[in-house]
Amino acid sequence: MSYTWFLRVGAMRQALALVLVGALSCFLLLPLFTLLLWAFANQWQYPAVLPQQFGFHWWQWVFQNNDLGNAIKLSFEFAPVVTLASAVVCLPAAYAFSRFRFPLRRPLFVSMLAVNAFPKIGLYISIAALYYRLNLIDTFLGVVLIQMINTLVFMTWIPTAAFNAVPGELEEAARDVGARSLMVFWKVTLPLAMPGIVVAAILAFLASLDEAQGTLVVGTPTHITMPVIMYVLVANYPQPVGAVFSILLSLPSLILLLAARRYLMAGYLAAGFRVR
Amino acid sequence: MVREGRGNTATEVVAPGAALAGPPGRLAPVRRRPPRWRHGLIGLLLASPPFLLMLLLIVVPTVQAALYSVGQVPADNVVFKADVDLVSSASPTFIVYERLLASTFIQADLLLTLLVTVASVALVLIVSYLLALYVRFGQGRLPAIVRMLYLVPMFIPVVIASYALIEFYVTNGFLQIILERLGIHGYQSPIYSPTGIVLGQLWVNIPFAVLLIGSGLDGVAPELIEAAQDVGASFVSLLWRIVTPLVTVPLLIVGTFTFIGVLGSYTIPYLLGPNAPQMLGVAMTAYNGAYQRPQPAVAMAVMTFILAAFAGAVYVWGTSRTERSAV
Repeated sequence: MSYTWFLRVGAMRQALALVLVGALSCFLLLPLFTLLLWAFANQWQYPAVLPQQFGFHWWQWVFQNNDLGNAIKLSFEFAPVVTLASAVVCLPAAYAFSRFRFPLRRPLFVSMLAVNAFPKIGLYISIAALYYRLNLIDTFLGVVLIQMINTLVFMTWIPTAAFNAVPGELEEAARDVGARSLMVFWKVTLPLAMPGIVVAAILAFLASLDEAQGTLVVGTPTHITMPVIMYVLVANYPQPVGAVFSILLSLPSLILLLAARRYLMAGYLAAGFRVR
Repeated sequence: MVREGRGNTATEVVAPGAALAGPPGRLAPVRRRPPRWRHGLIGLLLASPPFLLMLLLIVVPTVQAALYSVGQVPADNVVFKADVDLVSSASPTFIVYERLLASTFIQADLLLTLLVTVASVALVLIVSYLLALYVRFGQGRLPAIVRMLYLVPMFIPVVIASYALIEFYVTNGFLQIILERLGIHGYQSPIYSPTGIVLGQLWVNIPFAVLLIGSGLDGVAPELIEAAQDVGASFVSLLWRIVTPLVTVPLLIVGTFTFIGVLGSYTIPYLLGPNAPQMLGVAMTAYNGAYQRPQPAVAMAVMTFILAAFAGAVYVWGTSRTERSAV
């Protein structure tokens, strides 16, 4: 094994690790850095390493463009509606999975994963076919429903884990001092489970905001959201327009996910394995 | 741990079947509760809305798609009947599939789909496994940096990731500019080629894959690795004979999910891939929209479902095998 001498020298090994980590950071970060440069480039022509002229020219352009403005508006209409609808559908279920024992409990809980068992675009095409029959194609309700698909799993699983984590003693104590069931739920259970519910809501909000494929298939031509209009921008507009728009679209994700990062890591992966 | 200490004996019972076994011997605090069958009914009612929504949005459309693709055309669907080359038959027929598979374009699309999917799964598995190992067992500042780095793609919507990758790798793009400055000429852009699709899939799939494999590696004790190293195991045999058998299930999960994910992707192959041949996801979207041919579009969708079912079968076979060998 003569070729491993290299790896046995500590300094060499560290150098190799440094090179590999460097390559990884280039692979992951440089494309994003390229977009950042484009967003603030008034002019950038090959083969200059940096834009010849920096500025906000294209930001003004984007904010004055009507189509783009409408897409932004529409995206921020869909996201809260989808989040709320998903919460209404899933939160009672999450509470039931946590506190009730009923037939088919485990199969129902696991069946939420069925969403991930289908190749998405095939599913969307099939849904579009159904929508034609139900007159849901290119309607607000139709888009809301298709965006909800991707929120069901975590809107059920994360709050279930959150309800599970509420200590039973606290609820008992509240009952012992005479609180009725509904009162216990509103004053004890719900507030304690709130962080988990908020994380799920944030994820649902972002899932709706970033959903492109399904909305493209069932929402065109009237319901053009931010990610859907990106398909057009990429193909038909000068690079800085797409870049500016990319930053506008990434900002909510970046802010919300960074804010909820700590809960996110712990909650999402653990959620599925808690309920027996 | 979570459920312990809850004083309520009725909800203490874990298995649904055990709920019928009668109350435990302990005295429960006196409290008015609904009878057990009503408790179960309320639970079922509360839990059913997301399930019903899934029935409407997953089961109904896929079953209808399968029926439509074999010639069962519902009379009330105007769009279905508007397909130029509609195949409609009282008994199931595979004409739509035969026509699709006879077309050289679709053959090329199918081949590309399979190649890109398999290549993406292999690449995602290798890179994520190595990253997860490094993050789990590496010490010092460098693994700590990687621990944050690999999560970055999770924060970026796929459309934007695709756009960023295009602008970076495209001919005369940022990468070529840098390479030229370094004196490296003759750059061939992977964008608008199958390699571009694989590259994009790797980029977006890394966070989930590393997270999942990493959660499996958390169960592998560092002492085990040290012990193996002490008796002189090489890196390869250590990986192959000691670590990999312990994380087979997470690896299978990542493989299956990546396979299904790539198969069902549209954005990356549409934006980063070649115009022809296309991946099935792109082709079926074009058939459904631009070409106004819903029947072959739906048939292609069903083809991807069947491929995904194969991946699912491999997963089930793999996990059951691991479980048996673990007993």
